[in-house]
Amino acid sequence: MLLEVKDLNIEFHDHLTPETVVYDFNLSLKEGEIVGIVGESGSGKTMSALAIAGLLNRKDMKKSGEILFDGKDLLTCKRSELRSYQGNDISMIFQEPMTSLNPVKKIGAQVEESLKIHTNLTKEERYQKAISILNDVEIKDPESVYHKYPHQLSGGMRQRVMIASAMILEPKILIADEPTTALDVTIQAQIIKLLKKLNKQKKTSILFISHDLSLVRTLCHRAIVMKQGYILEEGNIEEIFEHPKEAYTKQLIEAIPALEL
Amino acid sequence: MTIKKKPNYNFIIGSILTGLIVALALVSLVYTPYDPDAMDAANKFAGISLKHPMGCDNFGRDIFSRVMEGTKNTLFVALGTVAIGTVFGILLGAFTGYFGGILDEILMRINDAIFAFPSILLALVIVSLLGSGKYNVMIALGIAFIPSFARIVRAEFLKNRELDYVKSARLMGAGSLRIMFVHILPNTFSVLASSVMIGFNNAVLAEAGMSFLGIGVQPPDASLGRMLSEAQTYLFSTPSYAFFPGLVIILMVLGFSLLSEGISQKSV
Repeated sequence: MLLEVKDLNIEFHDHLTPETVVYDFNLSLKEGEIVGIVGESGSGKTMSALAIAGLLNRKDMKKSGEILFDGKDLLTCKRSELRSYQGNDISMIFQEPMTSLNPVKKIGAQVEESLKIHTNLTKEERYQKAISILNDVEIKDPESVYHKYPHQLSGGMRQRVMIASAMILEPKILIADEPTTALDVTIQAQIIKLLKKLNKQKKTSILFISHDLSLVRTLCHRAIVMKQGYILEEGNIEEIFEHPKEAYTKQLIEAIPALEL
Repeated sequence: MTIKKKPNYNFIIGSILTGLIVALALVSLVYTPYDPDAMDAANKFAGISLKHPMGCDNFGRDIFSRVMEGTKNTLFVALGTVAIGTVFGILLGAFTGYFGGILDEILMRINDAIFAFPSILLALVIVSLLGSGKYNVMIALGIAFIPSFARIVRAEFLKNRELDYVKSARLMGAGSLRIMFVHILPNTFSVLASSVMIGFNNAVLAEAGMSFLGIGVQPPDASLGRMLSEAQTYLFSTPSYAFFPGLVIILMVLGFSLLSEGISQKSV
């Protein structure tokens, strides 16, 4: 088992009464597997993902449970240890390609960022790797994109760049937090295809967070349905879609527009 | 159809004025028409002539040469002041804005306390502790300038640290220092640039004010503020003595403020 999350609880302590946003979250992720987390806004899916990525380190927040990556608990390990996993083994792409790239740095520098932090490659080697990963995410003319700034690229291109910079060290786990929500439908389909391809080629496990059930169905092997911080249902994708156990899941499935892409 | 962009007059005029003043100061490093400190009793209060384009002062020193020298000293002090203010302001603003918490509270309350003092008054206190002179004025004004830079930088860091690109940098395993100074800091430059120009503006005025009061640049070094205060006595007999240093101060301040205005227009 690559990643195992056991009884994760996330509590906020920034008000008078503590507020729990995620209750008893359990997850297991095998190598090369794509697991979807679906649920409405505020169901705790993003919070769980951020916790797995090690991004929830505010002091007014309490996390309990275990997040085991290769047998190592990411919740209790040292910060320097956590940082050696981040970017190297676990990386993440975000919802808004407009804000997730640094507006004043060139694409090349941003794609190479993980290489600079985790490896001792020379400038030339980094350039080669960056160009080859930009090719892998199907960006046309990577040499010229390398020297561009984010505002010169379209939303779909930026999301590809984000994926490139997340994938450059070939992490074992890629967390995708609604990566297609801000994109239009045709670009959505391309990004999903790209994620599928990367998953096949590089054996990267993907944790795919979305409220779009039809996307989850086309991409994921297994799915977790969340509501108000609880996991309602979990299982193989076909099982969930063909024989949903919970009424809420049924409602979600019925809410998918009938029109096919 | 092409959309014609309205030229940024603030920026153009500001850079020309600032350029002229800076050129004047740079030239004074290698060449002044006369030795700015050389006295010439025969030319005491000499009027405007080809030989002395701005006339001579009460010791017969060439005012044009002294204005060049004074511009250099004033700019030098302003540069030092702004440099101290920006460097410490960035450090303070970056740490408080990025980390927040109790450190932020403590440092920002101290900052508020310094900010509450009029900067000239604060500089007077520091100068009276350290003694007068060019370098002490620089330190004194520099300290007085830190709070405003710290606030600007802090506000930018507060805004930027929540953005996704910072999260994704952290996710790549970047350390706090790398995030602060490699990722966030370049994003504050457009705001910082225009406030640095305003800083220059205020520093020039503050230096002139301090020298006018006699605690800035010490004689025989020329300084624009000092020349103004010396010229007071001869205001009616030799108005050119007060006019030219004053004019240069006005142009300098005008140039910097137009430039600051122009930069903030550009970055919109």
